[in-house]
Amino acid sequence: MYNLIRKDLILLKKPSMMLIPALLLYLYFDFSYIWSGFLFSIVIIMSLFSYDEKSSINTLLNSLPYTRKEIVSSKYIGALLFTLIIVFTIFIGNFLFHRELTAWRDILFIVGLVMGVTSLLLPFSYQFKSKYLMTGILVLFGVYMLVINTFIKNLNDIIREFVQTMLVTQNVQFYLIVTFSIMILYACSWLLSIHIYRKKAF
Amino acid sequence: MENIIEFNHVQKSLGQFQLKDFSLTVKKGFVTGFIGGNGAGKSTTIKLIMNLLQPDRGSISIFGLNYAEHEKEIKQRIGFVFDENIFYEHLTLAEMKKIIKPAYTNWDEGIFKHYVEKFELPLKQKISSFSKGMMTKASLAVALSHHAELIIMDEPTSGLDPTFRRELLDVLHHIMEDEEKTIFFSTHITTDLDRIADYITFIHKGEHIFTKKSYQIEEEYAIVKGGLDLLDQETEREFIAVRKSKLGFEALTSDKTRIKTIFGDMALVEKPTLEDIMFYTKKGAEWRV
Repeated sequence: MYNLIRKDLILLKKPSMMLIPALLLYLYFDFSYIWSGFLFSIVIIMSLFSYDEKSSINTLLNSLPYTRKEIVSSKYIGALLFTLIIVFTIFIGNFLFHRELTAWRDILFIVGLVMGVTSLLLPFSYQFKSKYLMTGILVLFGVYMLVINTFIKNLNDIIREFVQTMLVTQNVQFYLIVTFSIMILYACSWLLSIHIYRKKAF
Repeated sequence: MENIIEFNHVQKSLGQFQLKDFSLTVKKGFVTGFIGGNGAGKSTTIKLIMNLLQPDRGSISIFGLNYAEHEKEIKQRIGFVFDENIFYEHLTLAEMKKIIKPAYTNWDEGIFKHYVEKFELPLKQKISSFSKGMMTKASLAVALSHHAELIIMDEPTSGLDPTFRRELLDVLHHIMEDEEKTIFFSTHITTDLDRIADYITFIHKGEHIFTKKSYQIEEEYAIVKGGLDLLDQETEREFIAVRKSKLGFEALTSDKTRIKTIFGDMALVEKPTLEDIMFYTKKGAEWRV
């Protein structure tokens, strides 16, 4: 399994020559580092997924001495690892460029957001292939708009408020609940992806 | 004699295609050539051997082990070459090796280097620029570099020029010398098999027609040629299939001795090629439907 993550690191070698400087540039110009962190992490996780998505690569990975469980698990562990690398880069960048220590809350927010979104993206991509993600997101957006227009008209405000509360609250219990929920979601997504991938034919 | 691969009454449906009650054994220490027309089920069988597909029914064991409990152990001992490129195209062969090498506990850098030099493979060039022949050589170099006991190849010679096909067969011949290795490869270029295969396994429309020793095929099968007057309902039934023309008939039999007793000197009995056998078996199967 460790070897599969190492493989992803080798695959990332070239793209990271562009990604890391780009991220540092974003930090230098003081773009929202929460959104940059989220975006860069998701881009890395999904690019790595799409590299391995071709049926020929699935043939290779499944012919090598790995189990399907390991192949899927390496994506979930890798996702955490790459997010931590991005967060670490942000921490260093903020310190170098702006002489400030990134708030632990913000870091937790980035990691939580990436984990939450990855939990949805990976099983979807295992089931339908990542090229249908755009269609999936459009459908989801449509549903969201429908919900806002007909059922919960102030959904946008509720979400905005929720994020605000999360970033300022001192309530430890609240953090624990959110962290725990995301961890459960991530674990369920992991198991679901293993289940989907196990049945695939190449 | 030890069986390396064993299929017991395997059933697998894939869309329209079906592998029916498929049983097969591959013997240790020999080269088995796997023949059959397009869509006969060769690739499906190879995918089942590699656990890329799982059977709907029946069981498969490799080295006497099953995939459910010993997946990694089995795959450690298999080297594979596929018809298509299965490497990351934007990487170089050196980078590809870096990815594959740690997967195998028995990786032997010396052997890999040996084949890279022998096949004149560029290590620093992107895989996407490789020709079909180079691709096969690269796959083969990787397949042979971890002391695999079983080498599985899906159409390794298709799309290769004759010189390289011969070179490949020579390499295979060489690795068979230690008698510990087993090779199972599918092909539709049947002349490759005359040179190297000890056993021939023939599959048609998802059914295992036969597995025989190469010389046994020569002893049992024959192409029979003669005048149309020799044929009647009864004699026709002796053949797998018959092709008739104004000039006479040509037919395939799987019982050369019997045909010789029936027709004596009146018919011409010739050695069949594997292509003859494939052609007439297909025709015969259509007949009986």
